[in-house]
Amino acid sequence: MKKKMVSILTAAFCASALLAGCGSADTAKTSASSAGAASSSADGTTTFTVGFDAEYPPYGYMDDETGDYTGFDLELAEAVCEIYGWKLVKTPINWDAKDTELNSGAIDCIWNGFTMNGREDDYTWSDPYVDNSQVMVVSENSGINSLSDLAGKTVGVQAASAALDLLQSEEDGGQKELADTFAALQQFPDYNNAFVELQAGSIDAVAMDIGVAKYQLESRGEGYKILDEHLNSEKYAIGFKKGNTELCDKVNEGLQQVLADGTFGKLAEKYGIADMVCLEKKGE
Amino acid sequence: MKLSMILSQLSTGMAGTISIFVLTLVFSLPLGLLIAFGRMSKNRIVSGIFRLYISLMRGTPLMLQLMVVYFGPFYLFGMNIGKWRFPAIITGFALNYGAYFAEIYRSGIVSMDRGQYEAAKLLGYSKGQTFVRIILPQVVKRILPAITNEVITLVKDTSLAFSISYVEMFTIAKQIAAAKTTMVPFVAAGIFYYIFNFVVAWVMELLEKKFSYYH
Repeated sequence: MKKKMVSILTAAFCASALLAGCGSADTAKTSASSAGAASSSADGTTTFTVGFDAEYPPYGYMDDETGDYTGFDLELAEAVCEIYGWKLVKTPINWDAKDTELNSGAIDCIWNGFTMNGREDDYTWSDPYVDNSQVMVVSENSGINSLSDLAGKTVGVQAASAALDLLQSEEDGGQKELADTFAALQQFPDYNNAFVELQAGSIDAVAMDIGVAKYQLESRGEGYKILDEHLNSEKYAIGFKKGNTELCDKVNEGLQQVLADGTFGKLAEKYGIADMVCLEKKGE
Repeated sequence: MKLSMILSQLSTGMAGTISIFVLTLVFSLPLGLLIAFGRMSKNRIVSGIFRLYISLMRGTPLMLQLMVVYFGPFYLFGMNIGKWRFPAIITGFALNYGAYFAEIYRSGIVSMDRGQYEAAKLLGYSKGQTFVRIILPQVVKRILPAITNEVITLVKDTSLAFSISYVEMFTIAKQIAAAKTTMVPFVAAGIFYYIFNFVVAWVMELLEKKFSYYH
């Protein structure tokens, strides 16, 4: 009896040791194939790793038919990669950790409805390509019609978002004064949570980018409206690690090409943001 | 149609969840035993070190530990951490769970009657033989329910991996939820976790039955 038990235990330990062996080999393989974060090094196929928030339609999200990540920004990145023959690696990131991901070299750029206003000095920016505003979404029958109606109300905003920065900014153009009139500024992780809370009445308004607001309202149907008064006007651009002008310039050139050949316009059309894009032709 | 798509997407994410689960157990179960020995060492410096280790691992959030393990090499040594994401997750989980398992092992080991050691000594067993042949088999039996608790917690903790941007099942549920503006994927994810844990509990129960001799 005792003997049998010992042999079982020994076998178990051996098995776990074996598993550990192939486990680590597996690990190495998976990570090597999934996260090649080499930027513009010139060894065969160059990979271009884009970090994005996969919960940010229509700019970057998961297509539920194919399971692939898609969206305006990602298709645009794909088009630019095609020009240079780069391999696009789409890395969904935890938005709160975007700076560390970028600075550590895990991703080459943040390309995902990334607001440049207020962050001008923190990144090396591409040319702005989408004109975006921060807006307030409220329930249709809430009786809230202007920003001043929000006094004493609870307003929701995504953590680490541009809308939050704006509402906390005391600088020129900042909306800290407005935010001070709110009863509370509630931070939430994603827009699903926010909209359910809005529906349930635990918050009265949600601040977000206009493109996101339009997508949300379209897929959720009736019951919500966007306040005509905008919080500000701002622009989306691609954020590169501060000082990485080489890669940034290349992407800018690529953007010019996709603009010239009409791909840019088609994509904007496809994702319903044609009236918001603002990429300008350069040179001439 | 739509539900079947959600399910098939979640199953792809399940692969990530299961690989974290399996690899963490593979590394943390043996590691826990080593830590338990360290913690019970008669050398006060050694036991002090392991005491501190357990205290730190249990006293700080796993999410924070994952971030330290993943981003630490960059901040401390300026290393490129592009390929380090998945290994970092397994390392972080194994270090954390090793601490919990260590305390479970220790509880089992100290619960053994002194008399057994004395009897074994009388019968001519060496210290090592006593532990491997007499003590450990009984310890395993005793601590199985506590281990089951930890293992089930581990299944649910895998969702913490997204704090360092590793896409596992729950992350996919969140992504589908965002794209489709619906909460249905979360219900589906809940069912996935439940089934997974049901299987884990069932396997552990079988093990318990298998070890239920001497009664």
